[in-house]
Amino acid sequence: MIYNILFLILAAGVPYYLILEKIPAIKSKHIFLLSAFALLSNIGLSLYVPNEHKTSLVIISLINAVFTIYRATKTTNFYKLAYYFIFVNAPFFVLYEGESSLYSLSLLLSLSGLYLIGRFYEKNYGSANYRYITGITLVRPYIGSYLTFYLIAVALYPPFPNSLFFLHYILGSESNPLWFAVVITLFFGNFFLSMGVMKKTLFGRPNANIHYVHMTIKEKIPHMLIVGMLLLFSLYGLKEILL
Amino acid sequence: MEKIILLIPGIPIFIAFLLLFIGKKELIPRVSIMLSSMIALLALYGTYYVISNDTQIIGFDGLLVYNELSAILVPYVAILGLVIRKYATKYMWDEAGYRRFFILLNFIFASIYLFVMSNNLIVLALAWQLLSISLYLLVSFNVGSNTAVKNAKWVMIIHKAADLVFIIAIILTYQTFDSLDLTILSEKWLAMSHEPVDNPMIFVIGLLFLIAAMMKSAIMPFHIWLPYTSEAPTPVSAVMHAGVVNVGGILLNKLAFLLLLAPAVLNIAFVVGLVTAIFASLIMLVVSDIKRSLGYSTVGQMGYMIMEIGLGAFSLAIYHLIVHGIFKATLFLESGALIKLARHDSNLPKRLTYELFWEEKIKSNSKKLFNYLAFFTILPVVTFVGVKMVLTDDFFELNASIIILAFAWLTGTQLFLSFFKVSKADSFKVILALVSSFVIILFTYEFIGLSLEHFIYGENAILFYEAATFNITTIMLLVILAAIMIVGWLFMYTQHFAKVLKTNENKNSLKWSFYKFLAKEGYFFNIIKALKRNKNDL
Repeated sequence: MIYNILFLILAAGVPYYLILEKIPAIKSKHIFLLSAFALLSNIGLSLYVPNEHKTSLVIISLINAVFTIYRATKTTNFYKLAYYFIFVNAPFFVLYEGESSLYSLSLLLSLSGLYLIGRFYEKNYGSANYRYITGITLVRPYIGSYLTFYLIAVALYPPFPNSLFFLHYILGSESNPLWFAVVITLFFGNFFLSMGVMKKTLFGRPNANIHYVHMTIKEKIPHMLIVGMLLLFSLYGLKEILL
Repeated sequence: MEKIILLIPGIPIFIAFLLLFIGKKELIPRVSIMLSSMIALLALYGTYYVISNDTQIIGFDGLLVYNELSAILVPYVAILGLVIRKYATKYMWDEAGYRRFFILLNFIFASIYLFVMSNNLIVLALAWQLLSISLYLLVSFNVGSNTAVKNAKWVMIIHKAADLVFIIAIILTYQTFDSLDLTILSEKWLAMSHEPVDNPMIFVIGLLFLIAAMMKSAIMPFHIWLPYTSEAPTPVSAVMHAGVVNVGGILLNKLAFLLLLAPAVLNIAFVVGLVTAIFASLIMLVVSDIKRSLGYSTVGQMGYMIMEIGLGAFSLAIYHLIVHGIFKATLFLESGALIKLARHDSNLPKRLTYELFWEEKIKSNSKKLFNYLAFFTILPVVTFVGVKMVLTDDFFELNASIIILAFAWLTGTQLFLSFFKVSKADSFKVILALVSSFVIILFTYEFIGLSLEHFIYGENAILFYEAATFNITTIMLLVILAAIMIVGWLFMYTQHFAKVLKTNENKNSLKWSFYKFLAKEGYFFNIIKALKRNKNDL
């Protein structure tokens, strides 16, 4: 029972960010780092401690996911969005436990990219808020490309590994109404949130009041590494799913 | 050596990566076109190999196949891709994001090749989803335009729903048939079709695949994404109308043997196809925007394609999608040149028959009109029956033939009347031209349709017609057909003379309501707006 509750918390199955958001000392980027660390711990723990998921836990995490999707539609902050995505995907972590570790890792990888973009925005535009930083695709194609990659990956589109692992797990499992609810929530939840970000910052006319900044080589390297790792994961995912 | 053909889906992805590192703008289209020509050559070689050796090329552990279907479709897509890339070279030159456009274009072609050549349901699902995302990024290419982005949102929502339905169908297929390999599955399905099948899950799977195909092919009620994508650049419109919307028909052809086990799905396909064909064609006639009109024209054609599948004419659907694709791509790609010419010559655009018949035009004789109409409505049926009897006499043993006959009549009458309306001449030349052109079209259509049928499905083709047969008697079908013909004929006769309403004259309210319904595209957006308003009020 204690293990179950611990797993549920580590897998972001309960919206503990609600408490953290109320503490002034903790900023959104810290919440992301904390929830990402918790998820990594969950992956590590699930490898050593076998844990059968319970239906009630999946239901709790599903309710949490739906609530988080609602919260995420209200935000225009990259940091917040990054940790909201972790909570949106919680039912999947709970449902598949250790098996979902590769999915969790590829999701974390994509979200790290999003977090880095947030840091870039914070450094150059004052905050990680993307509300008025429109038309990035037109004015800064490189940043636009990285952001597009991360969002497509999170929205569960191939060739990125998230979609491959997601498909791999759901293909091998038995379907029931709860399974359908989880799959449909994640499939559309991730998609709608990602498309929302695309619409608000990637697309639109460039804002004439903003001086758009280029990425330096130093800033580009982590993104290249993330994209490269995502592609490596994709190759592994393709091998897993096809062969 | 021949296995090299299976690299075709990878070449556009390679081109896309290569384009990332090309500095000079001039080189982007050159590299793209040069390497795409290679795809076209490989595709033609593959087709030659498949035809001459009467075999399939299978590789990558059975994941990809270059079979009869690929042998027809891959060269078509490759040549179309080449033309579109060439067109886009100058058309897109001044647009922001020239490189992005070519990269996305290569991705969408890669997904189409992968889709056509896949021999595994997972590969098919990956190509299916890759197509959705590439299309979204291309439709919203003009990112600065709010309308383009808003319309792209509709594209994405419907395609994402199609992705989910498709994935669920694949999972159920795997759970029911224990395989993902299309060759194995097709053999299994064909073997099962020889005995009666009583498994409702097969119907569910077939229906899910049909719904996914309907969504991608813009069949009603999922059509709304297509007519509103006209803000996309012209080459994208060409790709969309000539390539992307066809994937529904291609998917159903790949799963043809599954549908043998679920005849009810074929009947549903026929009905939705029929409703789409009629409804979209009517909307096409009344919408005021020319680009939307073209969009509805494609929706109507997709309706015909799905209807043909519903009748068991799977290979005819392939022929239809190729012919329609070439026609629609030409229409989109020529539009710019035509507008440029029309600016210099006010007589443009000319009707096709203008030069041939216009000079002989004389005042029409109203007495003869009735005879002409009667002649032109009976003649298509007689011609069609004659052609069919020459090419396939066993066709008439199937009662689905009556439906095909009805559509031959409809199309023939439409064709004859439109020619007749233009010329209105008491000329032997006109009648001879009409009859001979119709016979040639029919012979070509039927001959190529039959050849394709033989090439793709061989002796199994007849099984599809048998499966698609309706559970009603031939006499009943004939009665329905006769009723439709008489009502249609009377309607055309009474409507031939356009009546101009005077201001104080009462309007026929039913007609006006119907016209308004069509002009407002079925009130779809009014409903969405009302729903949004209610949501805001709450």
